[in-house]
Amino acid sequence: MDTNQSTRRDFLKTTGLTTLALGFPTIIPSTALGQGATPPPSERIVMGGIGLGNMGSGDMNNFLNNPKVQYVAVCDVRGGVRNERKNQVDGKYNNKDCKAYVDFRELLARPDIDAVHIATPDHWHAIQMIEACRAGKDVFCQKPETRTLREGSLVVEAARRYGRVVSGGSQRVLEDYRKIVNPCWGGELGPIKAINVQMGTISKACNLPAENCPADMDWEMWLGPAPWAPYNHSRCDGNFSCEGGSWRSYSDYSGGNMTDWGAHHIGGATFAVDVRELQPTDVILTVEGDKRWLAFKYPNGIELTLNKPGKGQHQVDGTPGEKREPKKIPDYAAKGGIGADFLECIKTRGKPFRDIELAVNTVTVCHLGIIAYTLGRSLKWDAAKQTFPGDEEANRFIDRARREPWQL
Amino acid sequence: MSEQLDKAFEALKTYDWGTDPNTVKAIDDEIVATHGDAAARKKLEGQLVLVLKSEAPRAAKEVACRALKTIGTANSVPVLATLLADENLSHMARYALERIPGPEAGQALRTALAKVTGKLKVGMISSLGARREDASVTVLQALLADSDASVAQAAAHALGDVGSLAAVKALITAKAGDATKGAIADASMQCAEHLIAANNKAEAKATYDKVMAGSPSKAVKTAATLGLQACGAK
Repeated sequence: MDTNQSTRRDFLKTTGLTTLALGFPTIIPSTALGQGATPPPSERIVMGGIGLGNMGSGDMNNFLNNPKVQYVAVCDVRGGVRNERKNQVDGKYNNKDCKAYVDFRELLARPDIDAVHIATPDHWHAIQMIEACRAGKDVFCQKPETRTLREGSLVVEAARRYGRVVSGGSQRVLEDYRKIVNPCWGGELGPIKAINVQMGTISKACNLPAENCPADMDWEMWLGPAPWAPYNHSRCDGNFSCEGGSWRSYSDYSGGNMTDWGAHHIGGATFAVDVRELQPTDVILTVEGDKRWLAFKYPNGIELTLNKPGKGQHQVDGTPGEKREPKKIPDYAAKGGIGADFLECIKTRGKPFRDIELAVNTVTVCHLGIIAYTLGRSLKWDAAKQTFPGDEEANRFIDRARREPWQL
Repeated sequence: MSEQLDKAFEALKTYDWGTDPNTVKAIDDEIVATHGDAAARKKLEGQLVLVLKSEAPRAAKEVACRALKTIGTANSVPVLATLLADENLSHMARYALERIPGPEAGQALRTALAKVTGKLKVGMISSLGARREDASVTVLQALLADSDASVAQAAAHALGDVGSLAAVKALITAKAGDATKGAIADASMQCAEHLIAANNKAEAKATYDKVMAGSPSKAVKTAATLGLQACGAK
């Protein structure tokens, strides 16, 4: 395995350049689409949804009820869910036009679809986002956006390569943490030294017994790139528990609380202290008795701690006596939440608030934390090379083989 | 070896779907405890190899493969290689092999390619891509012309992952058919981004020009246009 080859990210990070500085516009300008200043032929954005269970259903309702959207396709591996969503869309438009798919690739092959939203289990996100970019679709993907570190790099590269608008899915980052974001950006807390996040457990191995698979479920497609395992209703249940009885609990599909809530809480923390464009350089694991906590050190000196004893949720260590100029807090491009922000950016070809690179930076923290906990030790991280320098064992956790025939 | 570890390996003899994973947790604990202890790791690796050679259930062998992903060395490669053509265990063999450092794992994957077809072959190709070894370029290049489009597409994406100058040359000289031209274009542009990062804009531009000349889809044309802009082309 060659971990010494340079990567594009390597070049970008070591030189401190952005993709824009390289000459790659981060989002494709409308001129490159051959449209010039002329608006698209239709004022409506044609959309489809992939993975339409709990979160996907909510996202679908959000987009379906937005007047800027014409919703034309649903995709889910569960027949009951698929038919229910199709009927819902058809009911909205009073026709039978919505097409229903088991295989997301058939949906992505449709040239009339401009954008998709994805809310499959986490182990599917990267493949589906990359395939959507390759098919020229803009993408809204639920959090956590990736399951491995390598997926993060490849998803960002695909989005930039094809000039797509790709938004991560945490609405909480902007909407839920104002109490700490406002004073941090407003300067009241002075220069920030550290912020703490309270977080639950990481996912675990799953070895549930075989059960009869429902006739309307395509189990092979549900598993997709994950290791084969027999059907069990708890293995694939989309409820929000991370402590068992749901796919969010098991490491083949999810990082558990660390990624599921980490995408929100860590995303909010890195936004508050304005390190969302960075990745940490050091992950320090401290073990005190039966308690373990982590400290992520950023290249600008700011520290993000996870479950540090004595610290509360989003507790900030600032320097209130020192002056710091206030900064304008970034916002959505349109009123109506993170979905409306995505739709507006499709029209303007602007960068969404939760641009995929920022979302990946957050989930990278989550993955680094999982690896440190799993190996039981501290780690160094080279964000430019996307490797653990000199740590051959940790480098094995950057990615994992996907079940055939799935490939990034 | 601790008593708990002995019990875990004993449990693996009958470990099947539905068995409590905590019965084998001592193996993961041993991995953490033996960090930096080469002798202990060698002993643990030997035990895991024996599981793969045994008649243990599939679920047990998967536990062994997962552990070898973290601690496997060239010593594990021969037994993992024997599983590559096994429909039930090929993926988990790759789960370990894809991440084991050193040339042996990559060589095992390249050797096994000739013994499989279809999905298993696609899986091995994707693992070779993830390993990013220049030694894989020749074999991947040959697979670009495979009659199975899924194999040829996978080979293209794997060459894109390798990303070297040799890989891009293999891609831009390939004869792309309707089923493979999208994958070859995507992989070529992935390589071109490496070239730009290495400040080799001339080779990158030639790559994008080649993509543009291949009647690309709208999405690929857009991407190649962006790539050419990055090369400084008007």
